[in-house]
Parts: sequence; structure tokens; C-alpha cells
Amino acid sequence: MNFSRRIAWVFWRNMVSYKRFVLTTFLASLIQPLFYLVTFGIGMGAYLGQFGGKPYLYFLVPGVLTTSVMMSSSFECMYGTFVKMIHEKLYDSLIATPVSAEDAVAGDIAWGAFRGLVSGSLMMIVAIFMGILPVSLLSVLLLVLLMVFVGVLFGSLAMIVTSFAPNFDFFNYYSELVITPMLFFSGVFFPLDRFPGWMKALAQFMPLTHAVAVARAIFNGDYSRGLLLNFLVIFILGGAAFYFGVRRMKKRLIK
Amino acid sequence: MKTIISARRLCKKYGAFVAVDGISFDIEEGECFGFLGPNGAGKTSTVRMIHCVSPLTSGTLIVDGQAAHVDNRAVKQQTGVIPQEITLDSDLTVRENLQVHAHFFAIPRREARRRIDGLLQFVELEKRRDSKIDQLSTGMKRRLLIARALLNQPRILIADEPTTGLDPQARHLIWQRLRQLKDQGATLILTTQYMEEAQQLCDRIVIMHQGRILKEGAPARLIAAEIGREVTEIRSAADQDESLVAELGPLARGHERAGDTLYFYCDDGRPLMKKVLELDLPATVHRPASLEDVFLKLTGRNLVE
Repeated sequence: MNFSRRIAWVFWRNMVSYKRFVLTTFLASLIQPLFYLVTFGIGMGAYLGQFGGKPYLYFLVPGVLTTSVMMSSSFECMYGTFVKMIHEKLYDSLIATPVSAEDAVAGDIAWGAFRGLVSGSLMMIVAIFMGILPVSLLSVLLLVLLMVFVGVLFGSLAMIVTSFAPNFDFFNYYSELVITPMLFFSGVFFPLDRFPGWMKALAQFMPLTHAVAVARAIFNGDYSRGLLLNFLVIFILGGAAFYFGVRRMKKRLIK
Repeated sequence: MKTIISARRLCKKYGAFVAVDGISFDIEEGECFGFLGPNGAGKTSTVRMIHCVSPLTSGTLIVDGQAAHVDNRAVKQQTGVIPQEITLDSDLTVRENLQVHAHFFAIPRREARRRIDGLLQFVELEKRRDSKIDQLSTGMKRRLLIARALLNQPRILIADEPTTGLDPQARHLIWQRLRQLKDQGATLILTTQYMEEAQQLCDRIVIMHQGRILKEGAPARLIAAEIGREVTEIRSAADQDESLVAELGPLARGHERAGDTLYFYCDDGRPLMKKVLELDLPATVHRPASLEDVFLKLTGRNLVE
């Protein structure tokens, strides 16, 4: 692994291009989570009453927020990276400079994580305007930190997918077979307690489950010892995915 | 003259396919060195190893005193690359493309600004500095690639088929710029399939074919050694070869048949042309020998695929 500070300049390159379409991405990353908040939160939430002593939205918001981090960082590191690699040949010109393949890929994972952070933060701001507040200022800071970890985790996982992708259609497998099931079986919309045992077990293999559990605890300020395990899963899986994502992509880029 | 790049038994394989098959060559500092060859001859694979983006399969390759390998940032730091494909960043403007690139070479911001202004002038794009890439013509894009390759003031400049797909004006402008750079002392490495380009720019060339080097030398000397000074082309049916060669062969250095044409190579074409007039062969062209003749003679006049 050959990393350098040039990772920051690869990140910066994305920032320079981002300023041209930042508003469209705001819109795109807000609309779907907003639908969830309105339909599930306000529509269905009206029938649910109190949820662990608080309105349902306090349960839902951290879940949706984490989901939008996952979506943004995943899609950036799939479609965004694929376009840069295959259509624009950007990686070819990057690695002809002192930027190493590792720098280039790490810079793009960092970028994917940043895009996730932006989406998650926008969600948080919307929730705050709806009157659904994180329990303290410290919670806000911890959530921001968590979103970065979650962004690196899903950005890196997506990077592994991209390293194998022969074309755009390939990404459908990942989003339909991995992302969508995670959305529904990771305790985003309802607690996992009433699922049958095998489903609960399965959920433990979904990284989103752990991310949502930590986000929800931070948002509402009810910490428990089990969270440490959830966080460790995010941290270790994130590190491993980052390592393999960079390695796999290097193999694809350097021939 | 100091040798700046030196390759010994250099090999590159992609799986079972051998792209570069044990070639050796030396490039002197300050010269323009050309790799010539048909598509798939191994030119691009060779230069990609020189500028450290492709690992060697075997052999040695020394660039400016260091072994070339993909993690060698020091070699990349002093190499400029004009790629074969247009690898500009289409999300950014002309200027931003150069700014972003300058950061990858750790050029301080103010120095970068100064160089960018100078380079945009050098490639005559100063009026397009704020254009998006897709608003540029192919010639402008190629010129921008040259400016980008020069940002780090490279000691070694690699131009991989820099004029492919350009109109004559754009091509000549690029040749002028490359010659100017060579005059400023840069070592220039050119790959091309255009013989005229090689003749215009290169001090020395190697002709590559199927991963091997067939011949090496100065263009003019290669022409003199392989072909002679003049070439006579006679369009004729193949069954006339025997009689034509009997008549004209003794007046030429050599001959070759390719498709509908019989080629005679000579140092002084006048006796042969006199004979051609005597024989009254109308479909005949007499012209100076060129690098293209050398190239076609060595790599075969028929289509290589």
C-alpha cells in the first residue's frame, strides 16, 4: 500500500467538479429520505403512538439518516468512480502523475464518504426543522463522526463492487441484492425484536444494522454496552473493506 | 551524451499475450527517440513501463539512474506524458484541469498560476481558459494535453501518438511545439505510426514489430541503408514480374512485390527510369525513398492484424 498526502488533492479534484452540480445532488439525496420520513414517519407514525417513550419519528430519523449516508457513499463509489475510470479515463491521467493508484482510490473513497456525510447532514437539518432534535450538541458531533465511518464503510464496499464491474448494469445486482434488502431488514423502519430468530441472525450480517443501532443510540442518548460491538463491526469491517477496495482497484488500474 | 533511459531484455506480458518481447535500447539525454510500429507492436506498452504506470514482466529498465516500477513517484515527478487517448477531466474547465494537475505534482499555488498562464500561451489556448472541455476541438484538446504534460517542467517528455486524428494545421503546430521543447533540452520519447512525424522529429528511431525491435538508427541513415535514395513503383500484374525484374533488376538495389505494385529500390534512379521509358510502362511513380519504405519493407507491406 503506497499512500501519500496526495489523497487530499484527489479529494480536492472532486470538490472542484462538485461545485457545478452541488444543488442537483442536494435535491437527489434529499428526496428519497424525505419520502420515507413523510410516508413512514408522519403517515404510519400517526398509528404507532409512542415508541420506546418517544414519538416514532425519533426512532425513524436516525435510521433514515444512516440510510442516506449509505446510499450516497455507495452510489458515488459505484457510478461516480466507474464513469471516472472507464468513460473519462481520469484514473489513467491520475496515475501518470506522482499520485499512486492507492492515493487515487483512497481519495475517491474519502470523497464518497464526504458525499454520504453531506446527505446525512442534510437529513439531520430537515429533521431539526421538523422539531425532531438529537438529544444534545454532543450527539450532533458524534453523529457527524459516525457518518464519516459509515461513509468510508459503504464507499469501500462499493469500491470492491466497482473493481469487478464490467459495465453499469452490474451495479444493479449490488443495489437490488444487497442495498435494498439492507434497507428493509436492518431495523431502519421498525425494531428487529419481533422478527423470527433466523431473520434477526441474518440482520447481524448486514452492516447497516450496526450503523443504524449506533446512530439511534447517539441520536436519542440511550447508550448501552452492546453498542461497542456494533461500533467495532463498523470500524473493523470498514477497515477491511477499505483495504480490499483499494487493493482490488489497484489491480484493475495497473496492468 | 548521457544515457537517461536504458532497457535490457525488457519484457511485458498480459496473461499469455507477449506485448514486449525482450527488447534492449538506450535513450540519450536531450534527444528525440521514436518508437515506430504498426498497431499492437508494443510501443505503448514500452513507454508505459518507462513512465512507471505498468509493471515490468522481466528485464531491467533504468530511468534517470533509478529502476522503473509502478511505485516510483520520483520518476513520475519528472516525466510528462501526452497520452494517446484524451484523458482530460471533462467536469472541469481548461484552467481547472491544469490547476488540479499542478497539485498532483506538488507545485506551489503561485508558481502553478505562473506556469499555467505561460503554458496556455505556449499552446495558444489562452482565450479558452474558462471553456469546458467538451467545447474544445480535438486539436485544442491535444494541445491542452501538451500543456498539462509540461506543467511539472519534465526532463523526460513522452508523447504517445500525439497527433492521431488531427488535421494538418493542428499536427504541424504540435510538431513545432515538440521541436521547441527539444531545443530547450527535454528528452523526447515519441511513439507514432506516422512516418512523416518520425522523420520530422526524431534523432533516432527503433522500428518495432510484434514486440521486438527490428532496426534502430537515425531515420536518414536507416533509409539509406535499407532502401537507398529513390523508389520506383510500377503498377503491374504479378505475372509480369519475371520479365520486369530481368530488365530492371540489374539497375536497382532490390525489388519487392506488394499487391498490385512492384517496388524497385535504387541509389540512382536515372538508368532505371530510362529503361522504364523505353519499355513504355505508363503506371509508374518515381520518388525519393522515405521512412515509410523502410517501415513497410521491415514490417511487411501487407496488413498486419
